[in-house]
Amino acid sequence: MPEPLNSDLWVDQYGDMLYRYTLVRVKNPDAAEEIVQVTLLAALQSKGSFQGRSTEKSWLFGILKHKILDHFRELKTQRTYELTPEDGSDPLENAYHSDGHWRNAPKNWDTDPHKAVENKQLVAALALCLDRLSDKFRNIFVLKEIEGLASDEICKEMDIKPTNLWVILHRARNQLRECLETHHWNVKK
Amino acid sequence: MLLFRKLRVTCKDTTPLISELMDHNLPLGKRIRLKFHLAMCQVCGFYQKQLQVIQALARKLGKEEASTQQQAVLSGPAKAKLKESLNQSS
Repeated sequence: MPEPLNSDLWVDQYGDMLYRYTLVRVKNPDAAEEIVQVTLLAALQSKGSFQGRSTEKSWLFGILKHKILDHFRELKTQRTYELTPEDGSDPLENAYHSDGHWRNAPKNWDTDPHKAVENKQLVAALALCLDRLSDKFRNIFVLKEIEGLASDEICKEMDIKPTNLWVILHRARNQLRECLETHHWNVKK
Repeated sequence: MLLFRKLRVTCKDTTPLISELMDHNLPLGKRIRLKFHLAMCQVCGFYQKQLQVIQALARKLGKEEASTQQQAVLSGPAKAKLKESLNQSS
């Protein structure tokens, strides 16, 4: 017999957690709040289908992840996933000489990934840089690197061509890289 | 050597491959060109590491314990509103 769900306690027990998780991903606080609401309502409606195979918390988060994906999909129908000027250019577009060598070679950041994540300033700097991406870029990057969806999953869920996805991710990474270099390492361009 | 002529891979050729590798396994030809160039080019190695740092930082952000979001909470009124809409539904 699965443990009964206690929906009266959901808001107090999980509200902030669900909200924080969503806020990192969708950036807009009002949207995040709405997504949490939609999630809890959906959970309430499907209370009967909870089979106790997971914990209440992970079950709620499972629903939340779907609602976040729905949110990104909704945003998408309002706009195409072709690149627009609002997305910005590829910072590395003119970064090479005609022979293919770097003009301004990337410096050594002298930071390993596992050390970098312990640097709170650096994590905060990335959060800021993420917020500077266009919504389109930010959403796709979040799906890939934060939600951890596979490339073909993203293409399927968001109805994007693989080449389009690749361009978006490539450009987003280069923009984030440039932003971090400028704002964290103070590299003058 | 014919092999090296065919494998002339510049930095400009390589940076897109570095990014692509983070998205899916590369087909054999691209994989070889990437390895070949990285073996000779320290600078592109710096670029690859930078993208890996960005990826690691992004994943860190996504974890619940990420300190940047620890202050974010639903306001009192927001929670009340949520409870109300749940009550109305049940």
